[in-house]
Amino acid sequence: MSTTPQQNADELAWPAPEKRRSIGKDTRRIDGPAKVTGMARYSHDVRLPGMVYARFVTCALPAAAIELDLTAALAVPGVVEVVRVVGDSTLYLGQPIAAVTAETPEAAAEGARAVAVTLTELPWAVTAEQSLAPDAPKVNPRGNIGRERTQEEGDIEAGFAASDAIVEATYTIPIQHHSCLETHGMVVDYRGGDSAVIHGSVQGTFALLDGPPDSLGLDASMVEGDVQHMGGGFGSKFGIGIEGKIACEIAKRLGRPVHLMMDRETEFHASGNRSGNSVTIKAGASKDGVIQALVADSNKLGGLSGGSYAGLPYVYSVANFSSTSRSVYTNTDGNRAFRAPGHPQASFGMESLIDELAYAIGKDLVEMRLANLPDDEQHSVWRRQLRRVADEIGWNEHPYKSAPGPHKVEGGREYVEGIGFGISVWGGGGYPSCEVEARVDREGSLIVSVGVQDLGTGSRTLVAMVAADEFGLEVHQVTARIGNTRFGNGVMSGGSVTTASLAPAVKDASNKMRAALIALVATNTGKDASALSFADGGVIVGDGLRVSWRDACALCPAGGLTTHGVFQKALQSSGVHGAQAARVRIDLVTGEVKVLKMVAIHDMGIALNPMAVRSQIQGAMVQAVSYALFEERLIDADLGIALNPNFESYRLANVHSIPEMTVIIDDEDGRGVIGIGEPPAIPGIGAIAGAIQNACGVRVRDMPLSPTKILIGLEELRRS
Amino acid sequence: MKDFEYIQPETVEAATAALATKENADWATAKARVFGGGQDLLGEMKTGLEEPSALVNVKWIQGLGGVTQADGGNLKFGATTKLRALEGLFSSGAFQVLSEAAKTIGSPQIRTQATLAGNLCQRPRCLYYRRPEAKCLKKGGDECFAYGGYNKFNAILGGGPSYIVHPSDMGPALMALDAQIEISDSKGTTEMALDDFFTLPSDGDVTRENVLRPDQVVISLRTGLDTPSEWRSTYLKFQERDGFDFALSAVALSLRVQNGAITDARIVLGGVAPRPWRCREAEQLLLGSMEAASLAKRGAAAADAALLGAEPLEHNAYKVPLTKGLLQRALRQLTA
Amino acid sequence: MLAMSTPISLELSINDDRVRASVPAHWTLLELLRYELGLTGTKQGCDKGDCGACTVLIDGKPQLSCLILAANAEGKKVQTIEGLQPAHRKAGGVGLDPVQDAFDRCGALQCGFCQSGMMLSARALLNENPTPDRTEIRQALSGNLCRCTGYTQIVQAVELAIAESTGAEPESPSWSDGNPWKSTTSLSGKNGGDA
Repeated sequence: MSTTPQQNADELAWPAPEKRRSIGKDTRRIDGPAKVTGMARYSHDVRLPGMVYARFVTCALPAAAIELDLTAALAVPGVVEVVRVVGDSTLYLGQPIAAVTAETPEAAAEGARAVAVTLTELPWAVTAEQSLAPDAPKVNPRGNIGRERTQEEGDIEAGFAASDAIVEATYTIPIQHHSCLETHGMVVDYRGGDSAVIHGSVQGTFALLDGPPDSLGLDASMVEGDVQHMGGGFGSKFGIGIEGKIACEIAKRLGRPVHLMMDRETEFHASGNRSGNSVTIKAGASKDGVIQALVADSNKLGGLSGGSYAGLPYVYSVANFSSTSRSVYTNTDGNRAFRAPGHPQASFGMESLIDELAYAIGKDLVEMRLANLPDDEQHSVWRRQLRRVADEIGWNEHPYKSAPGPHKVEGGREYVEGIGFGISVWGGGGYPSCEVEARVDREGSLIVSVGVQDLGTGSRTLVAMVAADEFGLEVHQVTARIGNTRFGNGVMSGGSVTTASLAPAVKDASNKMRAALIALVATNTGKDASALSFADGGVIVGDGLRVSWRDACALCPAGGLTTHGVFQKALQSSGVHGAQAARVRIDLVTGEVKVLKMVAIHDMGIALNPMAVRSQIQGAMVQAVSYALFEERLIDADLGIALNPNFESYRLANVHSIPEMTVIIDDEDGRGVIGIGEPPAIPGIGAIAGAIQNACGVRVRDMPLSPTKILIGLEELRRS
Repeated sequence: MKDFEYIQPETVEAATAALATKENADWATAKARVFGGGQDLLGEMKTGLEEPSALVNVKWIQGLGGVTQADGGNLKFGATTKLRALEGLFSSGAFQVLSEAAKTIGSPQIRTQATLAGNLCQRPRCLYYRRPEAKCLKKGGDECFAYGGYNKFNAILGGGPSYIVHPSDMGPALMALDAQIEISDSKGTTEMALDDFFTLPSDGDVTRENVLRPDQVVISLRTGLDTPSEWRSTYLKFQERDGFDFALSAVALSLRVQNGAITDARIVLGGVAPRPWRCREAEQLLLGSMEAASLAKRGAAAADAALLGAEPLEHNAYKVPLTKGLLQRALRQLTA
Repeated sequence: MLAMSTPISLELSINDDRVRASVPAHWTLLELLRYELGLTGTKQGCDKGDCGACTVLIDGKPQLSCLILAANAEGKKVQTIEGLQPAHRKAGGVGLDPVQDAFDRCGALQCGFCQSGMMLSARALLNENPTPDRTEIRQALSGNLCRCTGYTQIVQAVELAIAESTGAEPESPSWSDGNPWKSTTSLSGKNGGDA
């Protein structure tokens, strides 16, 4: 029986803090035990009878005509088939050119090495300089420069005339890899016949229905997609990719289950990245700290794709500016979404510029920022947040507020500390997408189902928490079923939209179920439904009477009760402000940057699970440490070969790199739920770069902010 | 990786006999490889840089691991001694440099499996060497791509025609203790100074980093200090990523202190040259009193002398101040 | 001298089970575990020793199963993530191994792909040194990469496991006003215990 009682608008609101049970409180993951025991099954772990394993052969050059001799590969014991997966030529470095399928992953890897590839080099460009050169090869048939956009406001000339100091600088940021611990790929369970199940490491369960049915030649209704656990996406796993398409094609040809997970090197080559950026800025400020004029010109480096850039001025209010950006195409893998696309790049340039202007006019770094954040409704949040992180990081006691600290080893001093700041903006609102089913049976089971996936952010737990709170149940009394296309539609996890899209729909379904159960109890007890309410896992009937959860559920028809929930706009909101501060220690002998402490404050309406929120924010801060200090994709510009497609020389921060982190979840401001995945990933790199200059006077304008560059900077300062 | 024959001898004789084929007398034709911890070799085999048809595992040979006393207070370390075992052995004195160096290598997992001889014999980490598609000098090609390419991690001393840096941490540490290396083949056993074991690209075979032949097995390493009780030592390594990385620069420093004065010294650099790089002239500048101001002055002079011949490439000039700074810091710490 | 030709017959102990297997000489222990024995809790992250996701304990010590030949594990005692809880129970414990339990309670995981290796590195440390300090914890975990969590909760989880095993009150993490481990609003320790 399906019930959709009249919506009571008054009831569909998040309860006041004192009435919340699990929401708003630290809540452990319901899939924690499965994960810590190794029982959680990722796509990479799926094992099926008769399954074959596939691997890619990739192109070692940025562009080449491809000839393949498959004889040797086919002769490798265990190899089942080898197919070409590219046309006559390749377009980007590391592009898959052949897929080798074998009975074991070892044989597939060996077969991949045995494919004899003859590359005839075609003209290519892997750097912006090469792409913009007069005689550059055409990377993109429509030209190597993509759409150019200029935004202008005010009177720039007047702004410069009113400036007391002018800074001109170019800030560059390299391409960053998502570096998901589980590589991209899927297992296609197709054994002939008219149906298939696809286990994919993707950020949207329903992406598994976008393409595979066609590749398999099956009716979409006969294909099931499954994403129970996945090992990280960060924006790179929206679609099924070439790996998904090829896996389906192999399965179709062989009529056998196919396991195609990229190896780590292919993952580096061909699973997307965060675009690099180079921005040249000229800006002026008056002595009071106000930025009077800003002219910015930026190249977005997104390989074959357009790249992303949030534009300047970022967040701060500048009256007179002109900001131009354009895509510059190269023969490298296209960029994809990556945790706040375009924002960290813009933030790095903006915060760096503010620091440099502040020092040029001798202004306190915090005061300088406040001078460019008007005291209006929107900007006042950042003003408050900035002051808060400044307090927490110890700015008041800090000796170097408007001029950098010392850069010389003398008097036994080998280390010096500095502080930097950054602010951020993001949306994080939801939209109509999730279709949630709540189901109760006579035995008292409450099962809440929706196809949405859990990237590790805790959405599975969130489903159970929101439902449990609606009835006053414990979280573990709710069964949350997610990550399968047999359930109702789910939102893709990207843009921090999941929580704000999902939680309202879960609450809606639960709320309807609550009304349905109350109606049953009302009928049964002869009371007026409006007098009944749920509390502590039961229905309060009045007169001291209480119907337990189980007794209430026992009133259900034999088939149980089912309700359906959809997006409820009023339960969510959008708009995340944020400020972060970093304190670093520079080793003046080695140039080593140790990030000692970071403080983050972000507002997100109701933080449904603070434990998960802190984890998101801390994880984002450490990603910023890693991005700022270590990460850089390297390609030899003369040879066109990849130099570091591995975790040895593409360095990720490890446990030694982490600062002490203070996470401040900003006070609730009456708004509903908002996603928090991306915003905390924005301000950290600018804050760290600023802290480095604040500590020792070295402004590194090109990331990563390596000790090697700081050492050279220190040498230059000592000489000057 | 490619399949191979797995040979597991129980004695050194059996191992060298298995290696003593005609083709194995020369690296160009060798098909068998000595296999210890495998922490480098398996990686090379996975990327196809090495494709041996046989592995001779020496790890289970009795007596090839472990630490024993040698002449005059010196120590002898079996070739298959695990780095993990060295980590906690010495917290002061002449051999401290060994534990300090061991601790900086790889990750705990790698140190559990990696062996002392393997650390000395590991191949370069040069970004170009590690890419199978770059047929560089080290791989029998005719160009060192790092020279005119991305050379942030490459040599500033002793480079040419190849500009790799030697990745070993135990090499500089052992050389700072005047170590001897014992090597066996089917004809017998020889011992030589570890200083003579390592080679420069300009010395001879540019595709190798030492004189070991493919039919030879490293047996042991023995320190060779005169009166170790009078020595103290330290290892300072700077790596881009703390906790798990190769050296951008490293300094192994040992000092003999008699009657409050430095009477002998060893300075061996890692991460800056194609082999562990001993700085003999700089060592001499350290000799003398332990008085802080004088020592600081001599330390600065020694640092300048050590890097006198440095010829930085486009992206690695930072190694000059870095190495000078590390050497002086090591001296301060060791004489504090 | 024992010369072997492929495939190699092996006998080893995996999670206290005597296992006989026949694998090619060039198979790694990781391949034996994941593709022959179906022990997929051991993850394949980079397959070249850089990420630590494939960490297992061999004779109690942490090693990279992707850089060990299966043949080299002959006669050894291998422990994978699947064996942690059974070993804990066999030793008289209840619920999860304290390391697993602490990781769960501290939320020391997001996607979870690095977790098996991370927990085994922690377990190896505690086996050797029941009361390591924070520096020693960091050193022990330095070979395990995590892209999601920022490591802080991971370090806190290890510290919680240490504190509880010594009967000490765990230090309250910096983000907490009270003692979160005693929180009554979170799932209780017992419920999370049985996978």
